[in-house]
Amino acid sequence: MGNTLGLAPMGTLLRRSPRREEPLPNPGSFDELHRLCKDVFPAQMEGVKLVVNKVLSSHFQVAHTVHMSALGLPGYHLHAAYAGDWQLSPTEVFPTVVGDMDSSGSLNAQVLLLLAERLRAKAVFQTQQAKFLTWQFDGEYRGDDYTATLTLGNPDLIGESVIMVAHFLQSLTQRLVLGGELVYHRRPGEEGAILTLAGKYSAVHWVATLNVGSGGAHASYYHRANEQVQVGVEFEANTRLQDTTFSFGYHLTLPQANMVFRGLVDSNWCVGAVLEKKMPPLPVTLALGAFLNHWRNRFHCGFSITVG
Amino acid sequence: PLFDAYCNPPGSHTDNVGDWLRDGYRFATDRNDFRRNLILNLGLFAAGVWLARNLSDIDLMAPQPGV
Repeated sequence: MGNTLGLAPMGTLLRRSPRREEPLPNPGSFDELHRLCKDVFPAQMEGVKLVVNKVLSSHFQVAHTVHMSALGLPGYHLHAAYAGDWQLSPTEVFPTVVGDMDSSGSLNAQVLLLLAERLRAKAVFQTQQAKFLTWQFDGEYRGDDYTATLTLGNPDLIGESVIMVAHFLQSLTQRLVLGGELVYHRRPGEEGAILTLAGKYSAVHWVATLNVGSGGAHASYYHRANEQVQVGVEFEANTRLQDTTFSFGYHLTLPQANMVFRGLVDSNWCVGAVLEKKMPPLPVTLALGAFLNHWRNRFHCGFSITVG
Repeated sequence: PLFDAYCNPPGSHTDNVGDWLRDGYRFATDRNDFRRNLILNLGLFAAGVWLARNLSDIDLMAPQPGV
């Protein structure tokens, strides 16, 4: 009589669907959750800047920056970067040592190490002339479908003060990542903690991310409209400062013209844009930027040349 | 109380609507109000997301119409 009840044959009941057998991807770092949207927005430019990049070897490169500005102190920066032999991906090489020093002796330095296949460590130092402003140590473990990070900020055993930050991200599906952040700070006579929950949904052409906690909320939406146009929308709310901000940014790419254009509009009545143009066959990139705050009647513009 | 009852008779619908409108106008125009700014920026965020999702048909290298 055959299978009159319409049930599937016994063997297929025990087999999982092919989609569920795909391993879940690693969600990446907590700090990179809003990266796609942030990269759409133009960076503030003011004054005239000349950057000369020089690759000294396959591991070592330096950059000289001269910046003349009416707002800040003009100065010279020396940037040096060393990258080791262990390359996990085109953008991740270990160990990596990066340093930036200006003409007053202030230093920004980072050291990234790969302690084991899944264990990474990072140290960040920031000084203002001879005084240490920031010393921070990170440990990150990347599992198959999760990432756990512990950060110690400005630990001071003598002063009994520390800032500890713990991050955890878990991939629930191929597209959905959920996680959280716990910030604990302590100093003599005071201590406190803030919990923030985070979620990220990645589709083929767009990514939506949300962080919500007692300190406020941060939502971002990134959309890749086509090969030329990318759009980013951001919303931030800070309950402590009682302030909210909305930003809309767009990124236009024209490879045929060697041109990249970024623009932004935000709720603080700021309008800004940066145009970057490469000048082949010369290894030169020209950038022009202008930002206008209609509410405060402030305008500043910048111009930079990058060689190498 | 008698004067109030004469000028604002109980159940005066027009005054309540006027108070609502007045309060609504003050709320909408108070730039220092956190809740007002929150609602406004959330609305702008939603509008920005709608705009972003409808920009897929832009081609910057397409020839201009009529050329």
